Amino acid sequence: MGIDLTSGMKSPLTVQGLSKHYPAFDLRDVSFTLRPGSITGFIGRNGAGKSTTINAMLSFVRPDSGEISFFGLPYPERDREVKEKIGFVSAGMTFYTRKKLSAITAVTKSFYPAWDDGVYRKYMAAFGLGEEKTPAELSNGMKIKYALALALSHGAELLILDEPTSGLDPVSREELVEIFLTLKDEGRTVFFSTHITSDLEKCADRILFLQQGCLMADDDLDAFRNAWRLAECPSEIPAAMKSAARGICRSKEGYTVLLPASGAEAFPTREATLEEIMIHLEKEADQE
Amino acid sequence: MNTLMKLIGKEWKLCMHPTGYIMPLCAALILVPGYPYGVCCFYLCLAIFFVCLTARENHDAAYTLTLPVSRRDAVTARILFCTVLEVIDLLLMGLFILLKNLIGNQPNPAGLDAGVALLGDGMVIFALFNMIFFPVYYRDINKPGKAFLLASVAVFLWIIAEVIGTYTVPFLRDVLDQPDPRYMSDKLLFTLGGLALFVAGTAWSIQRSARRFEDQDLNL
Repeated sequence: MGIDLTSGMKSPLTVQGLSKHYPAFDLRDVSFTLRPGSITGFIGRNGAGKSTTINAMLSFVRPDSGEISFFGLPYPERDREVKEKIGFVSAGMTFYTRKKLSAITAVTKSFYPAWDDGVYRKYMAAFGLGEEKTPAELSNGMKIKYALALALSHGAELLILDEPTSGLDPVSREELVEIFLTLKDEGRTVFFSTHITSDLEKCADRILFLQQGCLMADDDLDAFRNAWRLAECPSEIPAAMKSAARGICRSKEGYTVLLPASGAEAFPTREATLEEIMIHLEKEADQE
Repeated sequence: MNTLMKLIGKEWKLCMHPTGYIMPLCAALILVPGYPYGVCCFYLCLAIFFVCLTARENHDAAYTLTLPVSRRDAVTARILFCTVLEVIDLLLMGLFILLKNLIGNQPNPAGLDAGVALLGDGMVIFALFNMIFFPVYYRDINKPGKAFLLASVAVFLWIIAEVIGTYTVPFLRDVLDQPDPRYMSDKLLFTLGGLALFVAGTAWSIQRSARRFEDQDLNL
């Protein structure tokens, strides 16, 4: 377990049978393995369990069952070694809003033996960040960039990002997507959760789709998209199509119907976007 | 520099609340005649509460737990940092007790006199606070108010009991509440007992708090 079969390298992250019970929500038996040097998108609607999965992966919440390893090291047993090799960035969290970035950096760097001041300065300059500012003075996009600069300066090989593009304008989101692609080119692994699927279409190699606490799909982006077709029906939906449908949504022109590609040959269809696939599958789940 | 020292440095640089600097100076209230001097310790307890409140408002737990440290380290460092503040408070109290005795110490009608036994009393107060506040706080770090309320009630009950005791309990009235250097060996023994309780109580608090924090699901 934990070896990537294509590269023979130890997987940056292996999650096996992760479960967590809450009174109103269950995360059930989530398992996946990340490939080194890839970008993996973790999608699902709000409340699907993306943040719970990440929090359980990082032991912020204690999972009821499951095994987690980073770079072949069991977690949380080897947490110190692991945390030196990973970076976690969450859009919802801003640390020490009134402290200068220089003060936060000075504290942070003291914990990492591999900290590289040159790399830090490079990223601060590239991201247009000044150390005399406080997090309260930064935009949401800049806060994410600062958190990334910290993670990259201690040599994080795996970046785990929870909703990094949420609340950002399209230009800022595009900038972040470009940063992720650059990080991938440098050989780092990026794992990020989002419900803004259009960002993933631009950069992700692989998709994990979480629905109501269960991992419904774990596939390459293209394979995932190619597994589905979308039919547009201006008026009535044919009965044959209705029976094969995996989600029907209202549209301005009538209805859109998601069909498994293997059974869609008989109908006029087009490629479905990631967003359309997610919306239709969620719609289907709501109706069940 | 080991992990704990780095974390204590982090507490000081990122979590320290201004009251952490101001409240130890309340030890100067020992110069005020007719004042329940145990309350000087309570002001520092208030500062510790503000440190924990500042930490919560700044998502300190989320930041700290992404650093290469364990949950136990994070708890130990926070409590040791607060203990350092308490020790500074006790040292300042000692200084003002000395000063008060130099300029002329009058009997205190509102509790223990400003003497060696007052330091022992302060250590008991901090031990009590540490043993209640931190274990309750680390059961749910998002609710420091509840922990502070419980610990404050215990501290004030102790202070009230101590004030009443200086009138009603013979050992307090006739030995500990007498001007220094009378009954110095008894007072030193009491103060050493306070020190032992302070050290043992804080160590127990660290163990218990760490266990609770390790088991806690953090809603970060």
